Amino acid sequence: MARINSNTELEELRQEILSKRDQNKPRIAVCAGTGCLASGAAKVIAALKEEIKKQGLNADVDIKETGCPGFCERGPIMVIYPEEICYLQVKPDDIPEIISETIKERKVIDRLLYTDPTTGEKVTHESEIPFYKNQKRLLIGTNINIDPKSIEDYLAIGGYRALAKALFDMTPEQVLEEVKRANLRGRGGGGFPAAKKWETTRNVPREPKYVIVNADEGDPGAFMDRAVLEGNPHSVLEGLVISAYTIGSHEGFIYVRQEYPLAVENVDIAIKQAEEYGFLGQNILGSGFDFIVNVHRGAGAFVSGESSALMTAIEGKVGEPRPKYIRTAVSGIWERPSNLNNVETLANVPLIINNGAEWFTSIGTEGSKGTKIFSLVGKVNNTGLVEVPMGMSLREIIYNIGGGIPGDKKFKAVQTGGPSGGVIPEQYLDTPVDFDELTKLGSMMGSGGMIVMDEDTCVVDVARYFVDFLCDESCGKCIPCREGLKHMREVLNNIVEGKGNEGDIELLEELSRLMTKASLCALGTSAANPVSTTIRYFGDEYQAHIKESKCPALVCKELVSYYIEPSKCQACMICLRNCPVEAISGGKNQIHVIDQAKCIKCGVCFDACPTRFGAVIKISGEPVPASLPEKERSLVRGKK
Amino acid sequence: MDEIIVTINGSQLRGSEGMTILEVAQENGIDIPTLCYKTELKPIGACRICVVEVEGSRTLVGSCHTPIAQGMVIHTHSPKVLETRKTIVELLLASHPDSCIICDKGNMCELRKIAADMEVALPPFKVRKRYYPIEDTSPYIVRDLSKCILCRRCVRSCSEIAEKNVFAVAYRGFKSKVVVDFDEPIDKEVCRDCDVCTRFCPTGALSKPREVGEEKKGEALFISG
Repeated sequence: MARINSNTELEELRQEILSKRDQNKPRIAVCAGTGCLASGAAKVIAALKEEIKKQGLNADVDIKETGCPGFCERGPIMVIYPEEICYLQVKPDDIPEIISETIKERKVIDRLLYTDPTTGEKVTHESEIPFYKNQKRLLIGTNINIDPKSIEDYLAIGGYRALAKALFDMTPEQVLEEVKRANLRGRGGGGFPAAKKWETTRNVPREPKYVIVNADEGDPGAFMDRAVLEGNPHSVLEGLVISAYTIGSHEGFIYVRQEYPLAVENVDIAIKQAEEYGFLGQNILGSGFDFIVNVHRGAGAFVSGESSALMTAIEGKVGEPRPKYIRTAVSGIWERPSNLNNVETLANVPLIINNGAEWFTSIGTEGSKGTKIFSLVGKVNNTGLVEVPMGMSLREIIYNIGGGIPGDKKFKAVQTGGPSGGVIPEQYLDTPVDFDELTKLGSMMGSGGMIVMDEDTCVVDVARYFVDFLCDESCGKCIPCREGLKHMREVLNNIVEGKGNEGDIELLEELSRLMTKASLCALGTSAANPVSTTIRYFGDEYQAHIKESKCPALVCKELVSYYIEPSKCQACMICLRNCPVEAISGGKNQIHVIDQAKCIKCGVCFDACPTRFGAVIKISGEPVPASLPEKERSLVRGKK
Repeated sequence: MDEIIVTINGSQLRGSEGMTILEVAQENGIDIPTLCYKTELKPIGACRICVVEVEGSRTLVGSCHTPIAQGMVIHTHSPKVLETRKTIVELLLASHPDSCIICDKGNMCELRKIAADMEVALPPFKVRKRYYPIEDTSPYIVRDLSKCILCRRCVRSCSEIAEKNVFAVAYRGFKSKVVVDFDEPIDKEVCRDCDVCTRFCPTGALSKPREVGEEKKGEALFISG
């Protein structure tokens, strides 16, 4: 492939690619993102290739292994074009039928379609599925059309047009002005205006300048940046080159987690291809602008997502934050001006350049423009990635897109912003989701994690989980975070084990205040959020744990007990046989009894007891009823 | 040099560009406690004892590393600041051995001095101490990491003053510790007798092997009240 040396050559190449593509030719797109691969997409793709070969359709059908379209709950996902038929949870065994029915006969297989849980209706097309219909997928919507390993696919959907526009039709000042007017705010969590950062770095009279992509997404349960980088790496590269052009930087880094092997692979391929085509390297597109990119793989530290820690890590040192009395935008890697943007922020840049700031600002709320990708996980029907305009309410996201809570359970809370975000209770469900509103509730946008919890979730346990995570991930440099989290963990562990003391809540609050006010970096200042918001909104649950040794959600193992209700027990022996520690005594026609001294509270009997009996009862905070005297245990069955 | 005027605790004070809040305060006799800060070393803002309140700032800022800016309004001893400092000392004490009475550092321990000055007694936290064996195989340094408060003065003085880079910090969170090589005990292989780190250690974590007849030197702790 010869390098492209001008805008005209780029458009000619695009036309050439498009002319080679027949829009009516059947094309089978299968998601090969991490979520679908985990649910077996690789086998589906292998079976598909084999079947097509077997049926001699090699020349008639295109297969595309794409990035993640978001509906991870129902993976592996397959979309068949040109009809846009969307099949969910496809298994290798379904492949022969798909080929012979859908591809050859153009018939839709009902069984593989999405079924509306309320109406029972089948939905054929991807865009009509409620999960997708209620979203606005500017960034991840094209994923299903792109093979991330093919630059031609990206060019076919208009890729690198924004770069050409910026390089040839705009001055760096104009690009900066456009991004500024678009009010693009950092998607990594802080919500800092990207253009302001660019301007700061641009105006520092020191060379060289660096631009960096922050792809160190370490939140448990979050995979937004992962999906973008895996599914459409060129969009991030394009945004990065535009930012470099604006700032006047000639070298960039992509700091990506080692734990994202597919993202690393796809980014490496994308960089190689972009260099071949002339979108990277010397004299980009013949414009005279030079820019190279290095991939730096993170060694697995959550704190390295923090800007100064990330830059210290790129320098080859331990990833630890440093005091930012001088911003990293002014003095970052090797004390040179360094601009750091999140994956999603940069992926938005080409859209803004192509469509203009007016278009971008027409989406979203007053203070937050554009869309935001969330990873919707936890107790919600449609787990996956959702991209919505800023300002959509939590309720709409959880119920209209997420499909509500499974098993008709009651919603309890939603945790936004990753481990250092806050827990938001039901009364705030109608809050519009944008940077400022979530902060007001004591939570944050973060990078976009959204963990839904139902009534069976104990918030104290949730707080303990996140503190536990952060305690392990604290770098240990400053005292409030290092020692504060450790003590917080200690106190929370005591509370969930029923060993809480009067005054523990005040102690937690004192530690929260300390960490929020005095920690060195944002990990520490936000680490107390899960604790302080759960105390604020669910203080009574903490009280119940401490004062009554009761876990209202029946989660904390040390605080629950199981017993068998004699009037319900049918002496079926199921629980007795399943008990791993032989704590249940009884026999045929003998009502079963749990020996509390032997019971390890594993809950196997509770799960094993047939629902129509419901004889095993789980309680917390109250004494276990005395078991029946031995001679009264014979079961008297009703006459048949 | 441009003159910068800041307000500290209500009085207008002058400083020049590049000075930190701590430097201006010290010049004017305002006492801000410090632990990880030493004039000879680059500030790292790790201990957070020196935090002060700057109006308009969301969080408290470390005075040792924050440069003054024109018109800054600073409170060095507001209730918020004092509560924070006190909690930090309490946290440090909670994981520090109670062996002051037999510690060689005795009355020269900076942690003890700060605790005494701030009237911090028994911490309200469940005591959680680190225990490490005492390393006394080196002829130059005796190290008791149980007493280490991770201020990194040894790491920095060894690198910035002695230029030997013997120490580094390894592991993370509560488990982080100052290590030599790949977390090996100090012995003469790695270290010479420059005595820089032992002088910089604020607690009894690093000391010189005591020679017969050597007296304790330095300024004795003065506990007011």
